[in-house]
Amino acid sequence: MIRRLIDMINSSITLLLESFLVISIVLTPILGGILVTIFKKKKLVEIISVLSTTFVLFLTFLLLLFIIDFKKITLFNEFFYLDSLSMIILLLISFVGFVSSIYSVNYMGKQYQDGIVDDKHLVRYYQGFNIFLFTMLLVPMINNAGLMWVAIEATTLISVLLIMIYVKEDAIRSAWKYLIIATVGLSFALIGTIFFYYANIHDPLLQVQPEEDKINWTNMLENSKSMDPMIVKIAFIFIIIGYGTKAGIAPMHTWLPDAHSESPTPISAMLSGVLLNCALYGILRFHLISSGSIGPEFSDNLLIIFGLLSVGIASFSILFQKDMKRMLAYSSVENIGIVTLAFGFGGFIAIYGAILHMINHAIVKPLMFFASGKISQKYETKAMSKIKGIITIMPITGIMFLIGGLAIVGLPPFNIFLSKFMILSSGFSSDHILASSVLIIFLAVIFIGFIRNLVMMSFGKPKTQIKSGELGYLSIVSMGMLVAFIIILGIYIPGPLDILIHDAVNIFQQI
Amino acid sequence: MMYNNILIFLSGTLLIATIVLIIKREFSEWVQAYKYQTIVLSIITGVIGYITNNWEIYLAAIITFSLKAVIVPKILIKVTEKINYDFKIETKPYISTRMSLVVSTILVALSYFLTQQIHLGEDVIATSFLPVSISLLLIGLLVMIGRKIALNQIVGLLILENGLFLFALSLTHGISLIIEIGIFIDILVGIVISSILIHRIGYTFDNIDDIHQKPASIEYTEEDD
Repeated sequence: MIRRLIDMINSSITLLLESFLVISIVLTPILGGILVTIFKKKKLVEIISVLSTTFVLFLTFLLLLFIIDFKKITLFNEFFYLDSLSMIILLLISFVGFVSSIYSVNYMGKQYQDGIVDDKHLVRYYQGFNIFLFTMLLVPMINNAGLMWVAIEATTLISVLLIMIYVKEDAIRSAWKYLIIATVGLSFALIGTIFFYYANIHDPLLQVQPEEDKINWTNMLENSKSMDPMIVKIAFIFIIIGYGTKAGIAPMHTWLPDAHSESPTPISAMLSGVLLNCALYGILRFHLISSGSIGPEFSDNLLIIFGLLSVGIASFSILFQKDMKRMLAYSSVENIGIVTLAFGFGGFIAIYGAILHMINHAIVKPLMFFASGKISQKYETKAMSKIKGIITIMPITGIMFLIGGLAIVGLPPFNIFLSKFMILSSGFSSDHILASSVLIIFLAVIFIGFIRNLVMMSFGKPKTQIKSGELGYLSIVSMGMLVAFIIILGIYIPGPLDILIHDAVNIFQQI
Repeated sequence: MMYNNILIFLSGTLLIATIVLIIKREFSEWVQAYKYQTIVLSIITGVIGYITNNWEIYLAAIITFSLKAVIVPKILIKVTEKINYDFKIETKPYISTRMSLVVSTILVALSYFLTQQIHLGEDVIATSFLPVSISLLLIGLLVMIGRKIALNQIVGLLILENGLFLFALSLTHGISLIIEIGIFIDILVGIVISSILIHRIGYTFDNIDDIHQKPASIEYTEEDD
């Protein structure tokens, strides 16, 4: 009797804690946005922004403990659904958000000093930053596929606002391109979502019966066996085109290099590090449903084709790039392509490698963007041919930039080597030998292009008279954290992270 | 089958309203045509609500009318008031008006053909409105790619959005209200943002065609050692 009572109290306390955590993770950025609007002073705004992201990161770590214990959490009449896969995305969002907010203080402060932005722009930037974080945090938590679409569309709108903070021709041009292409792409994703919903409520013998919870992702996965295969096939094609546009999968990636290179650097880091993963998360959810309904071959093949195409197009674009940030943007296309390809390979090691690659890319790419932002502030250009001898001028940033570059092409002591190795080894050991061989060729092309530019920029004698020295310590702190993670994850994977990835892989294996 | 005639009449009216959108050349006329199209759409939504006897769809009809037929046209007209007249008239589209009329009739026929491939059963609403919604989607895309000026892409987007709304409604008989409200809010915010952008384009660019040119601000010349 007493034991049962204790159990009941225990479970209700857990439920209460979980709801508190989830609600406060969602509400903190909104509160941050409101506070920024109230206090318009530069110092206060910066402190509020850093505090809110720190708090979100802290709460996410607490939630991680619950996820490791209970595997999945459903709250508020199945409105929120969290499992290990969504937890990984959530962790990445809050981590990259935290690092970017620290870096923003330094970067936007420098822009403010130089007179590129004024007080009004700064307030608008931090408002946008917080709301952007809020919309991204919603994506992995919502169970309802329709509302998830709404959240992803909201990320597009708010990031367009962030890109056009600078009133420049190029920024406006790329914001316009991004808005139009992403909105049209996401319309396709909505069509796909509606088709999946239709397949779930459709019964050939009866009239269509709309039901509220049938659009929930969990419900769709349960009923995936009884869905009409024809409709599921059509629906998944719409989904991969639609969310693929947002995830930057070729050939729908054309907005990405413009948007990523024109936005303020901390926003580029967030767009590239986590927003692409959010959209990819949408594809993965429907990939699971489609695999449950018609078997994994159909969606696997589509993922492999689109992934390989992305890596291929990105590799040749990197080779001929002249603008530093555009090169990094194409590298994001490449890495998202590798992740997509690896999910298409299937099998335990490939999916483990894919999730690890997602995490690694979300750590390395922000570092590269942060360093390139500092470098372009110092040299006042983004053209790579005009940047020489970073290591002599900015020793710490230069070395970190070099580490990031070596990590992203997949050299051994760093983290991306591990995940790329896993993906390739599983590709060669299963029956995807052709795709893996083509992937290796593309990776070699990328290696050549990237290392060439990296070496040209890092070493040599700087030509113009530029005063040597770093630009502020806060940027070095944020970049240093990322470098530490790159080295740690290159050597070994910490226990809790390993458990989390294992659980996430099991979600794919159970289908 | 008592509704059949009404349904066919309504879907025909919607198609005609869409065709009117294609043949106009000036921005204010597009907004007017879009307004009429949306009014027809909200009447259709009301009729579907009556057939399925669902109060949520009535509410969606009211929101559609008040948001898309009243607020959005007002915003668009107000924002574009100050913009140069050259930015608002389509003089040399990529696909001429006559050609796009022909192409859009082909697209309508194509969407009727495609819908017959899906087995819909005895569903009156889906059989009469699904092909129309798909043709709206395709025509929206045609408008977006076939015209030169940037405002036209907003018009294409709006047609696309209307088609999407009708598509969801006719196929599933109304997804739940909270999602529809979310979609409406997204549309409204999207329109506001694109209006801000249009406004900025108005005073940043001398010529509206500039937006399609490739960025060439950085000089990539190699320096000699």
